[in-house]
Amino acid sequence: MDTQKIGGTVVNIVRYATGYYELLCYAMRNLPVLKRLPVRSVLRKQLYFTGIEALSKVSLIGVLVGVVVITQVTNIVGQNALLTGKILIWTVVRELGPLLAAIVIIARSGTAIASELGSMKVNREVDSLQTMGINPVDYLLIPRIFGITTTVFILTFYFQVMAVAGGLAVTSFFADIPFLRQLNGVMTALTLFDVAASLLKSLLFGTAISVISCYQGFSVHSSITEIPQAATRAVMQSLFVVFILDGLITFLLFT
Amino acid sequence: MILFENITTDSLANVTFSVDEGSVCKIIVNSDDEKDDLLQTLTGLKPPVSGRVSLFGKEIYSIPRSELYILFKRTGMVWRGSGLISNLKVWENITLPAWYHYGRKPAEQEEEIAGLFRELGRDVPYVEALMQKPSGPLPLHEKILVNLVRALMMAPELMIYDSLFEGFTSETAKMLGTMVSRYHAEKEGRIALHVSSDEQSLAHVKATNVLRQTGDTIQHDSN
Repeated sequence: MDTQKIGGTVVNIVRYATGYYELLCYAMRNLPVLKRLPVRSVLRKQLYFTGIEALSKVSLIGVLVGVVVITQVTNIVGQNALLTGKILIWTVVRELGPLLAAIVIIARSGTAIASELGSMKVNREVDSLQTMGINPVDYLLIPRIFGITTTVFILTFYFQVMAVAGGLAVTSFFADIPFLRQLNGVMTALTLFDVAASLLKSLLFGTAISVISCYQGFSVHSSITEIPQAATRAVMQSLFVVFILDGLITFLLFT
Repeated sequence: MILFENITTDSLANVTFSVDEGSVCKIIVNSDDEKDDLLQTLTGLKPPVSGRVSLFGKEIYSIPRSELYILFKRTGMVWRGSGLISNLKVWENITLPAWYHYGRKPAEQEEEIAGLFRELGRDVPYVEALMQKPSGPLPLHEKILVNLVRALMMAPELMIYDSLFEGFTSETAKMLGTMVSRYHAEKEGRIALHVSSDEQSLAHVKATNVLRQTGDTIQHDSN
């Protein structure tokens, strides 16, 4: 029984991985479809929903994370600006920034995309696109994949700026820690490699989240009960893949 | 133009018929399930258990998807009730295919769309209000009209009507009939294919070709 269960899980993992890979390859090959104005219109909507509408939440979470990290670090190391800066870079820029931005997008957009696409499949809207001669993958999936990947990339950078600058500003106001000295400590500790590594992470996270969410949404067939299942799979698999990628990249780049 | 060769589906068996260029064809089936089966097989959405379906001389289940999409640019499908993209407003739905395929911007299509709705007895304030509505919660009769106008905006050679006249008042059904007849008479070779399980609703359609379901097959009407 256990062997059967493990076998089934392995088969599922291989099936999903193959599906994600094929969808990603197709999307990369057919990126020029974004030149079509109706597809660009879908892309604009996706950027607005995933990016602009998430700004306030990302700002708030960023500042709160910055405050928590800086307060704890200051409690441990005192007012040592350089050490505070280094720890802030290690935690916020290298790890928490890409990870938390990705989690916010998974929670907001991953579920939304999987459910939206799933309900379009159930309501035969995808069939309708086909009978109009519109390739549904080109029209529905490619702008979403490109939009989410771009948004995660930008939001990660924004999250890091909010966490570092916002966190320093708030703590300097309430805890009598000099803002400019702390900021100087961060800038001294920050390297181009740290920024590039975190942006590489965000790029891979964004690609993974978008491909998984779109694939899961499109895997719905005809029953409405499949929609929440697809949304749950999109969230859980996105989280899982994001954590695996995070561990791998950290291991490869920082050891 | 349309060729069904020994098609067997879940609900139909050994269906063979052809619809030629310039014809108006009625297919009367026994129930909506059989109608859906037939339409999905015809539009490339559900492969038959056996047999071959050809559109414009190409076998639709053996050509690559990319070729099928090119073929469907020449086909207008007026689904009953479904078919509109729910996260788009009505005007986005109507202008989508012509914008996507021919780059005709929505503003360039406005006048023609207004003209088509005028032909259906809908005045400008009605059309302006309708265009701004989300398409998801539209009532059934409006969904059908929007589907029809959207299909006509592509000026296809083949129009497939899924129970087009069912449920409309006799006045609206008459206007629909006049509009559809005008469209097909406008250019030589255009095909109209009406599929319905309600024979009465197609009574006024002057067809050159009538097919009827008998048992689990479809054949030329002997009447």
